[in-house]
Amino acid sequence: MTLVDFQAVDLGHGDQIVLPALTLSIARGERIALLGQSGAGKSTLLTAIRQQQQDAAAWCPQGHGLVPLLSVYHNVYMGQLERHSALANLRNLLRPDPLAWQAVETLCDELGLEGLIRRPVERLSGGQRQRVAIARAFYQQRELFLGDEPLSSVDPHQALRLLEQIQARHDACVIALHQHRLALSHFDRVIGLRDGRVAIDAPCRELDLARLDALYPDARSADDRGGDAPGEPQAATEFSAATREAGRSAP
Amino acid sequence: MSRAPGWLRGDSPGLTLARRSLALILLCLALLPLADLRIIAADPWSELSRMALGFVWPSWLALENPLHAVALTVSVALWGTLLGALLGFPLALLFHRSRLLRGFCAFIRAIHELFWALFFMQVFGLSAITALAALAIPYAGIFAKVYAEILELTPRAPGEALPSGVNRLSRFLYAELPLVWERLASYTRYRFECAMRASVLLGFVGLPTLGFYLESAFREGRFGEAGALLWIFYLLVATLRWWGHRRLLLPLIIAALFALGPWPAVDGSLVWRFVSHDLWPAPLLQGDIAGLGPWLAAIPDLLPAIGNTLLLALMGTAGSLLLTLALWPLASRHFGRPWQRAIGSGLLIVLRSTPELMLAFIFLLMLGPSMLPAWLALALHNGALIAFLVARHADGLTLGMQGLPASGRYAYELLPRLYPNLLALICYRAEVILRETAILGMLGVATLGFYIDSSFEYLMFDQAFFLLLITAALNIAVDAISRRFRPRDVPLDDPCSR
Repeated sequence: MTLVDFQAVDLGHGDQIVLPALTLSIARGERIALLGQSGAGKSTLLTAIRQQQQDAAAWCPQGHGLVPLLSVYHNVYMGQLERHSALANLRNLLRPDPLAWQAVETLCDELGLEGLIRRPVERLSGGQRQRVAIARAFYQQRELFLGDEPLSSVDPHQALRLLEQIQARHDACVIALHQHRLALSHFDRVIGLRDGRVAIDAPCRELDLARLDALYPDARSADDRGGDAPGEPQAATEFSAATREAGRSAP
Repeated sequence: MSRAPGWLRGDSPGLTLARRSLALILLCLALLPLADLRIIAADPWSELSRMALGFVWPSWLALENPLHAVALTVSVALWGTLLGALLGFPLALLFHRSRLLRGFCAFIRAIHELFWALFFMQVFGLSAITALAALAIPYAGIFAKVYAEILELTPRAPGEALPSGVNRLSRFLYAELPLVWERLASYTRYRFECAMRASVLLGFVGLPTLGFYLESAFREGRFGEAGALLWIFYLLVATLRWWGHRRLLLPLIIAALFALGPWPAVDGSLVWRFVSHDLWPAPLLQGDIAGLGPWLAAIPDLLPAIGNTLLLALMGTAGSLLLTLALWPLASRHFGRPWQRAIGSGLLIVLRSTPELMLAFIFLLMLGPSMLPAWLALALHNGALIAFLVARHADGLTLGMQGLPASGRYAYELLPRLYPNLLALICYRAEVILRETAILGMLGVATLGFYIDSSFEYLMFDQAFFLLLITAALNIAVDAISRRFRPRDVPLDDPCSR
């Protein structure tokens, strides 16, 4: 059964089209890894799916989108903000709702945030914030999980554990990520974007790491040049970042 | 080979700003002969030394118990700010929706606190209502504008992460307000500091705050007492962060209610008569449009007063610019030794905490009534204030080249990076300087404020009201001009610098 369906749709922000004439469908129960370099259109695609699935999708945005001044509890509670009246939400800011508190605390304990429920998000580490964002998505209690790099600020071991929890709680998921091994081992299907089009769309069993690397032009051009020292491209980026920095601070 | 460009030639942003600033200073110099800068006092230096002596050896014992004046000063500032914030916040939410509202806010904040005090005094007398309204009304206009600017910069990400269908109020309370709360609170704190100065100034129109006792001590030459009162004020401002701590705020607000007073008996018919009749020109009320001409002609020296106001504001702005350039290294970590810096920062803090009217008043006693004391006061107060902000900004910068001499550090490393921001601050300040210029008229300088003050004194309310409207219009116009003039692309993310 089809959950999401795009037939030759132009996707983008305002006038700027990022993914022209996109055709794509996602079935219920599918676990999809979304790959591609930064700027390839992953976020655009996820946003479009989210708009189509307003009431079925739990959303975990890039950069977390948390409110630093509020506690972990209030940030997670925001996942169900639309299910309560304005008055109830106002009251909950001043005095947490006991039932919601218990539900949120259970979620936090499961995600490795024990004892942090009262703490303002501004005093959490990057990995902890990531988990709060995931907890907020869980609290929405939807069947489809949409995550824009939800595993980017945790170590590989934790990433694996979080991914398993995400998949256990949702019928289907579309997750943008950069960990290629994880994409092949824990998903059913990979969608790879490059230059505004779908470059790869295949079941994981038909793919290998080399094919996924083709999504990244830098990796291939390094090969084309005959495989220079592996440190070199990185050094080059560092250098250009330094010159950019100097250019910005110059009067 | 190409020839080196001539003086100030080139189109780098730094040179553009330098040319612009130079034009401002040249314009000021060209108009300077029109200003009355005489020194009228016979022996300014002996007066100055007596004042300095009073400041260094304050005579605490001659002082009447100042506790009541201190309590009233703080209470008026606290409740004035609070009421201003309560009125201003809802206005801020609608600020970008309505041009009419923006115009209204620009108007109420264009009139100085002291003029509002003079205005309300006619109806409510020397009372708490006059004092609170004088602060709360212009502050509501300021809060509406600044709060709206802060709210506009709310990060969007948390709001976009919310599930669909969240109602507006919940969205605002959870995903918008907490994100800007710190900035709103810190601006409100800053405004409270301004309110402390304004509350002192209310003493100059007769409300028994610290300023009332300061003015009479200065006027009667009791400089020892004046020194002691000034010290009390500086201590109050310097210790603000302790007694004005967030935890103490609620008890303070409640306690302040008891220190406010006296409360007047409000006579409704009198208020109505004032608003509906006294404020308007008699010919207008009688429907005699032709009679407005003679009525206008009867206002003394309107055009010279406007000219003087604008000239003094221009001189104040140019003076502040020059003083800022000279003073900011005094408080910056890039220059001098620690003890020199401590003295420099101390000097800047004292200059910026002293209300400009107070400074002008002191210079006036020294130099006699001309534009000179007003100019000195405006340039010193505002120059020190901006220099302090610029020094803080400079301290956040790291030098690219080590071991340059001080002049090289100043001219090549730091000033080019600081200057756009510095000039933007001066441009923001120009509007404030104009507001203050008008108010300095109350000391006898022939600006608009002088005529407003004397119109109120002679109970010619229609004239006073008309002059107030002109002052407000001038302010709004100068604000628009300075917005054109100020460098673009300079993010002044700290609203407290206004």
